Amino acid sequence: MNFIDVNGVVKQYDGHLALDHVGLHVPQGAIYGLLGPNGAGKTSLIRIINRITRADSGTVLLNGREMVQDDIANIGYLPEERGLYKKIKVADEIVYLARLKGMPKPLAVSEMEKWLERFDLTEWRNRKVEELSKGMQQKVQFITTVIHRPQLLIFDEPFSGFDPVNAEQLKREIIQLRDEGSTILFSTHNMASVEEICEQITLINHSRVVLEGKVADIKRQHKKNLFVVNVAGEEKVEPKEGLFEVVPNDDVNGTLIKLATGATLRDAIAHLNEHHTLTGITEKLPSMHEIFIETVQGNA
Amino acid sequence: MTIVGKKSFIIMTILMPFLLILLLFVPILMKYINDKTDSSQMRIAVVDRSRNYGGAFKDNGRYRFELLQGDSMDKPFDTYKKASGRIDAIMVIPEDVLERQQVDLFSEKTLDESTMMYLNQCLTDTLSKAKIASFHDPELSDKIAQSQVNATIKSKKWNENGEEQEQSATIASIIGLVLAFLTYTFVLSYGAMIMNSVVEEKTNRIVEVIVSSCRPMELMMGKIIGVGLVGLTQFAIWVVLMGIAMGVMGFIGVGGDVSSSPEAMGMNMPETESTVASMMSAFASINWLSLLGNFVIYFIGGYLLYSSLFAGFGSAVDQASDSSQFTMPIILIMMVALYAGIGCMSNPNGPMAVWCSIIPFTSPVVMMVRLPFDVPWWQLLLSIVLLFATALLCIWISARIYRTGILLYGKKRSFKEVLKWIK
Repeated sequence: MNFIDVNGVVKQYDGHLALDHVGLHVPQGAIYGLLGPNGAGKTSLIRIINRITRADSGTVLLNGREMVQDDIANIGYLPEERGLYKKIKVADEIVYLARLKGMPKPLAVSEMEKWLERFDLTEWRNRKVEELSKGMQQKVQFITTVIHRPQLLIFDEPFSGFDPVNAEQLKREIIQLRDEGSTILFSTHNMASVEEICEQITLINHSRVVLEGKVADIKRQHKKNLFVVNVAGEEKVEPKEGLFEVVPNDDVNGTLIKLATGATLRDAIAHLNEHHTLTGITEKLPSMHEIFIETVQGNA
Repeated sequence: MTIVGKKSFIIMTILMPFLLILLLFVPILMKYINDKTDSSQMRIAVVDRSRNYGGAFKDNGRYRFELLQGDSMDKPFDTYKKASGRIDAIMVIPEDVLERQQVDLFSEKTLDESTMMYLNQCLTDTLSKAKIASFHDPELSDKIAQSQVNATIKSKKWNENGEEQEQSATIASIIGLVLAFLTYTFVLSYGAMIMNSVVEEKTNRIVEVIVSSCRPMELMMGKIIGVGLVGLTQFAIWVVLMGIAMGVMGFIGVGGDVSSSPEAMGMNMPETESTVASMMSAFASINWLSLLGNFVIYFIGGYLLYSSLFAGFGSAVDQASDSSQFTMPIILIMMVALYAGIGCMSNPNGPMAVWCSIIPFTSPVVMMVRLPFDVPWWQLLLSIVLLFATALLCIWISARIYRTGILLYGKKRSFKEVLKWIK
């Protein structure tokens, strides 16, 4: 069952169409990627889902029913442009924002302790936010987003501003939140993180949905019949007319070949076995990065 | 929320009443210090060509007069040069001084006002005595002395029981003006506080987090109401502290010093004691409860009106430095209100006062000036209803601007654009 169903949402700003009949269907308990180039309409869509702005038309269903204002207590939102009150103490900030989401104070305090512990921030709890490093502020912001254990978490570029170690921790936390029952929608340009944690994606470009589905399916759909061939020794794989060509590529460990149209993998393997000592062959699926660029540029 | 926690705010809250009282006493104190310390005598040489009135000028603690004799009388400047540094000025009394009623005073430095006043007084006294004497009527000076009248008007007002109470238009105007000033500064400073807070939340981008937790309208109203309550609390603290401070001062007798100060300034003011007494009774004749009650009502109304505008326009800017194009008109209206209030002091029931105290944008300030002068109840009611209706309208308009404004970043907005958001 889908946790969020966005149907035919249209949003127009001053003569500019930000969203043109956009649909989004996020299953319960999924980590769902909302992708798109800058200005495609991701943030507009997110703001409609968490009711910061209204859609001109279209519906947003949460758990199969029309969303109401009270539902926002069940959403945690990490905006792309991070922001915290700079002049107040870390602990006060977290508790204040948690209470805004309707958490009773004692619970907010005890949850905060847990999260501060988890992110090694306990000793900073009585410092002002402005005294913290950027990375620590990001962690505080993350805590304020998830502290009330919302059923839906919306992260806008969650990894920006994190170093690799912290990004890894953040990824683990996101996956754990999913395992504990939250549905996660996140918007990013960082395709590597999409491949790592998203199960499904929707790609928006020019205010429209141009691609959606499971990551694995999308990759299969976009495959280009590329294979990485490994042969024994120093042998060099030569292209074979009508069967495959060799694609120059330094990134892969082996030789990248592209099957000719009409040729089968079986024939290619037979040919390779004949001329070389074939030690391995794997299909090279396109990365989300490539698919993103291809789709966005092809769509432009 | 962050405002109250600031140290500067707490200190201001507590210190402000003392500062105000200090402000009241500083001029008196300064005058006192000035009189005590300025012990140097001023030497004035007198050239008496009338050979009669040289004695008109009496020495005292501040002035010493020297009558010049012989040649030195002809060339005052030479004498002045010769006596360099020893005398400060030379006065020449002409022969026909009684007719011309004028003497000449020469000096290198510009002489101060109090010196001129003293000399003038000496000369006037002597000359008028000489004139009276010239009529050769021994009883005339008595008659004139008897005909001197110093009329006073004691204004009394009846309360509900028909008891008489002294009142003072001056005191009422002063109280009105103080209240008008208070309203003006409160509304302006708290309005600016709201605006800063809106701009701050917008610039550090927390607003997006907050509005994903509550409605923009709730955020704006929460802010306005919160700061408003802070303002009222601060005002209440001031009233209490001022009351205590005044009481303490009255008790230790500072009040007595104040009453004697007009004399210290060289003014002739008899019956100082009774002036203080009538001031006190005029103070008492004012209905403080209704005055303060109305002040609070108007403060709330005016505050809601202006702070919502501040919040609305504050949401339209990205940085505090861009806000002036929107605050300028608001401040101008407030200034108009303040000047109207000051202008209405002389005629608190005139047409300008009445209109300005009913028009919602000026009424919170102007009505303060009129309040001590017993405003007709229908005017009060009309003015309050209009004020609150306009305040609600402004809140509605500002909420619509705010809703759009807080999430828009980037270019500077023009007035026109902002007004479009209302739709």
